[in-house]
Amino acid sequence: MMKTLLFYLISAAALISAGMVVSVQNLFRGAFALIGMLLSVAGLYLLMDAQFLSAAQVTVYIGGIVVLIVYVVLLLGGGVRSSEARSVRWRNAAAAVLAAVLFVALAAVFANPDFQPAASAKPRSATVEEIGHALLSPGANGFVLPFEIISILLVAAILGAVSVARARDDDV
Amino acid sequence: MNTPGLNHFLILSALLFCIGIYGLLTRRNLIAMLMSVEIILNAGALNFVAFHHFRHGGEPGGVVFPLFIIAVAAAEAAVVLAILIALYRHKKDLDVETSDTLKH
Repeated sequence: MMKTLLFYLISAAALISAGMVVSVQNLFRGAFALIGMLLSVAGLYLLMDAQFLSAAQVTVYIGGIVVLIVYVVLLLGGGVRSSEARSVRWRNAAAAVLAAVLFVALAAVFANPDFQPAASAKPRSATVEEIGHALLSPGANGFVLPFEIISILLVAAILGAVSVARARDDDV
Repeated sequence: MNTPGLNHFLILSALLFCIGIYGLLTRRNLIAMLMSVEIILNAGALNFVAFHHFRHGGEPGGVVFPLFIIAVAAAEAAVVLAILIALYRHKKDLDVETSDTLKH
């Protein structure tokens, strides 16, 4: 079946590129692996009929955040490479064991029947129209207050970022 | 190989989350740690959408929350990268283990 095949292909792409993000020494390559991971997740959103979210993921995450990360990696140049060389092997092993234990715990929770879809419910996703109404309606099911607060947060983050990163006279 | 259901997406997002946790614990470079955090945020958003699609009949909240996650991640990345630029200007280095001047 087409959808099943696509799911496994995209999942493999997401896992491989995520593994590259956490293991590649060169940060520039890591940023491109991150693009692969984000594209795969956008594809998974499409498999679940969440087209608007998929488009937002590509434009904001890949077009905005990853570009910013690549820009900073290029700006800071050689100083951001190879600090991993002194990593301690036992610490990596301990982190791997911890992550594996966490995965087993999560999988055990997800096997709980409470996490199964109701037999009667047909899988569907919200349309763009429903998302727009939800984002801007002030009612009990609306999200207009967090929507407005997010805009304040973004302005504050931009101003804060500019004032923190600005070069001062007493710096080199 | 049956059609992917809720469980498939939940297990996948759990795997992505654990990969992100592993990266956060092992990477020493602050930019690499930021990229691991982005993996973790995506795993969380994927969970929201999976429950929204398979269990809650398309109630819009399950898509609105990932949108907010994306917006907060954008703000977070901007602030973190600004701090890293300022830090690099002082120390010429982005290693977490040498960035401990606030401790002393």
